[in-house]
Amino acid sequence: MVDPSILRPEIALDDFLPIFVSSALVLVFGGFYVGIYTAVKVGILQKWTMPLAYLFWVLTSYCLYVMGSLMHVGDFTAKALVVAMIGYLLLPHAVYYMQHQVHEENEHV
Amino acid sequence: MANKSVWSDNRFWQRTAAWVTGFAAVLLIWLTFDTSAQISMGTDADLKDGVTKRVPGPTVINYKITYEMSTKRGHEVPVIGEKEKFFGRDDWSEEEAAELLHLGKLGSQAKNCMDCHTLLGNGAYYAPDLTKAWLDPAWGPEGSLQAMTGKNTKEEAMAEFLQHPSQYPTHERMMPNLGITEKEAIGLVAFLKHMSSIDTNGFPRNFGKMQGAVHGK
Amino acid sequence: MANNHLTSESKQLATWYFSFAAIIFGAQLLFGLVAAIQYVMPGFLFEIIDFSIARILHINSLVVWMVFAMFGSVYWLLPDETGIETVGIKIGKLLYWVFVAAIVIVVLVYLFIQVGPADETTIWFITEGREYIEAPRWADIGIVIVALGFVANLFLTGMKGKQTGIVTVLMADMIAFAGLYLAGMFFTDNITVDQYWWWWVIHLWVEATWEVFVGAIAAYGLIKMIGARRQVVEMWLWIEVAMLFGSGILGMGHHYFWIGTPEYWWEIGALFSALEPLPLVAMFIHVLYDWGKQQGEQNALGEKVSVINNKPAFTWFVLQAFGNFLGAGVWGFFHTLPQVNLYTHGTQFTSAHGHLAFFGAYATILIGMMYMAIQGTNGIKVMKHTKASIWAVSLITIGVMGMTVALTIAGYVQVLVSRAQMGATWAGYFDGQSGMWFAQAMDWRLLMGAVTFAGFLFLIKDFLSTGKDAAHQR
Repeated sequence: MVDPSILRPEIALDDFLPIFVSSALVLVFGGFYVGIYTAVKVGILQKWTMPLAYLFWVLTSYCLYVMGSLMHVGDFTAKALVVAMIGYLLLPHAVYYMQHQVHEENEHV
Repeated sequence: MANKSVWSDNRFWQRTAAWVTGFAAVLLIWLTFDTSAQISMGTDADLKDGVTKRVPGPTVINYKITYEMSTKRGHEVPVIGEKEKFFGRDDWSEEEAAELLHLGKLGSQAKNCMDCHTLLGNGAYYAPDLTKAWLDPAWGPEGSLQAMTGKNTKEEAMAEFLQHPSQYPTHERMMPNLGITEKEAIGLVAFLKHMSSIDTNGFPRNFGKMQGAVHGK
Repeated sequence: MANNHLTSESKQLATWYFSFAAIIFGAQLLFGLVAAIQYVMPGFLFEIIDFSIARILHINSLVVWMVFAMFGSVYWLLPDETGIETVGIKIGKLLYWVFVAAIVIVVLVYLFIQVGPADETTIWFITEGREYIEAPRWADIGIVIVALGFVANLFLTGMKGKQTGIVTVLMADMIAFAGLYLAGMFFTDNITVDQYWWWWVIHLWVEATWEVFVGAIAAYGLIKMIGARRQVVEMWLWIEVAMLFGSGILGMGHHYFWIGTPEYWWEIGALFSALEPLPLVAMFIHVLYDWGKQQGEQNALGEKVSVINNKPAFTWFVLQAFGNFLGAGVWGFFHTLPQVNLYTHGTQFTSAHGHLAFFGAYATILIGMMYMAIQGTNGIKVMKHTKASIWAVSLITIGVMGMTVALTIAGYVQVLVSRAQMGATWAGYFDGQSGMWFAQAMDWRLLMGAVTFAGFLFLIKDFLSTGKDAAHQR
């Protein structure tokens, strides 16, 4: 039941800094991704900036990959991380769709 | 509101929130039952029969405690060994030991230990972690702290230090005098010894292994 | 107050709560400065106000001022939401004075008695010695009574008046908030059991019920300040509740890695605390969405007028959305997974996270609520920034960010020296503390603490003067 890789979390001394930086950047880039996406959708940012949002999603995934490998996560966790990143790609689309739906419906009652 | 989709329906989300919260809470409560059983304190009989408990009984103070790498678990675990004298005795009864631990735990709260030190890693960060303080090489036979107090055993050295901390400055940052009596000091040392026997899943890592030496660069 | 525009007694009571909260906020910063000085000059106030005492006062006043401001916020929004005067306002006022008196006594005992003998009388009358909830047992009981009175007022008002989504969320949230305190009110010799339940109070407050509380307050603020649509805001609030409780309740696992609890908490803690930032991202996006939508509709009308009717409050609300994500999210996430937490647990990393998260998630929005109360009390239609309000928000933000960065660097030194290499021994600890990087980080922390305090002085100046400022539209 216990993931065997989690049992030996011996982290190389030189790996601490990249782990901290990459895990912080996971959220920062992740925030940029959904932030830019929403801002474009509601018209705060110009349409052409949308590819930047997806670029940030790619950076998020990359940082998560770096973090996961330096921490030596196991096979199961690695798969879970991949699923999480695909979920994260879809998340703002779903959220925007819902928000928009409510907004529209309340506009035209 | 004819064509309201379920995704934009407030009541749908209200119910979702209630179900998610309820489910998480039930799961937490269920896990709490399981954990509570595993972290309840062991007994003297457990110690005599060699039953491993995550939190051993108070009479663990009659035994030698070490912190060793377990290949099965992949990290260090406390190991309870042969009998060892604690303040000159290795036959503290279950009641006596429980009384000492009770006094020590009360003392640890009455003196606000946790607002400078960390216990099991929780507390303030102004002074060293006390989780495995009992096993610290500094208090051992060759340790600087034991030598400083002029005592012959670890427990006497620790008790002496607790009663007169400002007489034994170990660092520019000193422990203040908290009015700890001799009896309270013995209780506190029992509390520390007991805490060092708790199975903390390998925290802190590599404790004492380096004996002050720095590997790597 | 001379020209008071408040007709509601509930709002009157809210201003009392806010005023006392602001005073205690000042005390929090002062004792924080004392503790910060002691890191740099260990002899400062040694055996007069030791670090432990300064820190108790620092973190207890943090909790107290936030609870006061939270109660104040509820009393402020209740008449608006329910459309009626708060039920049991007289009892509310009485409980306010009981609460204030209890706090004053507890603080005086902390300051002048400090520690007691190792027996039950100390636990009952001086200190319980458990981080954040050191308040002695008698005060615990008092706090529970006051909290129950508050919850009763909230419930009776909510059930009698209009029960909006925001009020419903607050009702459910506040009963959990009050109930959880009970988990921290017993003594046990088993420190593992002790800390297990202790986290029920600390974690389930700060990472669950308080987060939901600010979600509800943010919803109210968005409706009031930029005219966001209730339907959208409340739907979103329910989604937030689901996400926050869904991740936060079992996110508790990240406190159960090393206290003697079984190993399965590693997986549970890692999984759910990885989910914990999601609602924070979502809350941030929501503010952006509503603001963009409302301003977009306004702009479509042809006139370029801001939809924000309270600039300082909105600034603090936006700062909250961002600060919650940064402090609780980013600073929490990078040391939450067990592989890394093994080395960071109990270092200044936790302290860095604590400073930014409490500020970002809670201090900001509660200060925002105080500005809304000033707006309401003085009958202001559109409230503008003043010089002092801009200085306050800038200095406090720079100060807290600066402290956080300094503490992060200090924590990094500790992880490398004291933890990864020397295994958390006594010698390892002091080797880490004596390092040049650590020492300099602590100097910077003190400096940034002073900057924060300067910002606080501007904030108080603004609180006292902005109400009468002629710049606002009335």
